[in-house]
Amino acid sequence: MNSQTKSQFIAVASITSELSAVMVVAKEISLAAANAKAIAFRAGDKAKGFQPITDFINELAKETIELVTNINVYALLLYRLTVNEYRRTAAYNRFEQVAKLANGAHYANSMQEPITHAKTMMQDCQRQFKRDVTQLLGQLEAVMHHARAARVIAANSRIEASQAGEYLQSLQAVAESVDKAAHTIHDNVQRCRIALSIYRNS
Amino acid sequence: MKMTKIYEGAHQWVMFGRDENKPDNIIDSNQYIVRTANKCLLLEPGGTELFAPMMAAVLHHAPVDQITDLFASHQDPDVISSLGLWDQALSNAKLHAPALWEGYIRNFGCESIEYVPIPDNGETIKIESVELQIIPAHYLHSPCNFHVYDSQAKILMCGSVGSAFEPANAPVFVERFDVHVEKMRAYHQRMMPSNQAKRAWIDRVRNLDIDILAPQHGRMFKGDDVKRFLDWFDSLQVGTGV
Ligand SMILES: [Fe+2]
Repeated sequence: MNSQTKSQFIAVASITSELSAVMVVAKEISLAAANAKAIAFRAGDKAKGFQPITDFINELAKETIELVTNINVYALLLYRLTVNEYRRTAAYNRFEQVAKLANGAHYANSMQEPITHAKTMMQDCQRQFKRDVTQLLGQLEAVMHHARAARVIAANSRIEASQAGEYLQSLQAVAESVDKAAHTIHDNVQRCRIALSIYRNS
Repeated sequence: MKMTKIYEGAHQWVMFGRDENKPDNIIDSNQYIVRTANKCLLLEPGGTELFAPMMAAVLHHAPVDQITDLFASHQDPDVISSLGLWDQALSNAKLHAPALWEGYIRNFGCESIEYVPIPDNGETIKIESVELQIIPAHYLHSPCNFHVYDSQAKILMCGSVGSAFEPANAPVFVERFDVHVEKMRAYHQRMMPSNQAKRAWIDRVRNLDIDILAPQHGRMFKGDDVKRFLDWFDSLQVGTGV
């Protein structure tokens, strides 16, 4: 296996591992939202501004989980494509070797067709991989967008929390955990994007 | 890759082996083809490492599109791990291999090649007008294992049975049976697990008219050495690895 193929395998595998961490964090946000909702309910009028925010956080967490679930399916396809490309490339290289070794053999020419076919299949895989990576980068961008939105909401939550009297501390903790989670999601997804960006369609 | 024609009649048998360019840490193996007018059957196609020299050697005898059939006696990588490459080279081929091993052998890659499962009690396959008997040789050494007998050519391709390991420049036929025995003993004692299976195989094979015994490793046996081998194997205690 050459180093290009190896790093492609690693890039694809890293998506799955980074995303499983994103999933855990997104679930944490969802939990934080439920928690915040309960506190805001108890706080009544004092946390009036906070209530719509909790719904929003919850919505955001749900959407992120959905997005990541879709991306995981996609990442699996990308992995299969990488395996396929590896197989196609290995076959093409071996077929070229056959052509060299068969030099002078009575039926050496009959190898041309499999070689041409293998080359086409290999190139198809490479093109498909680039196309799929470009799409996946778009989906990852959507997750990043959600993470950024979550951070803005976290900032707003902090302001709203400051009006909440004795609930200030617990609501602030909610805002804090949303912010931290959004940060982690942002970083993980960013790492995925960097790992994949060299394979995108230029 | 050395090529030796071992039968020439209305169809041909060619033995391939002793590849001088193979890496030292890969065992040497024999491959065989049965060539008819428009078809070619590959017996024990070999491991991935051997694919390119083997394919190149076959091109001396048949064009790619006439390689229509493959046979694997059992599931081992030195027998059939090249399958994934043949699979991408051949557009119209069948693999005849043990039914029991289908799920295992498919791991080597079998998408365009049709897997034709061989039932436990064997069968007959036809390559154009040539009829080949697929003879059960279970537990020799694989738990599900087959040999190929051609009654016209009087050749029995006997897979692991009769195997020995030789340097790349060794002759392809046994010359002095008494010397050759020592190269086979340890392998047969260790790799063949069952005296009962061995006995059933010998009883079956003694009824066949055989000119050449063609194993997957080492040298072939011809003429009187065929009987000598059967007698020797008959008296050997196997399954001694425990
Ligand atoms: Fe074996």
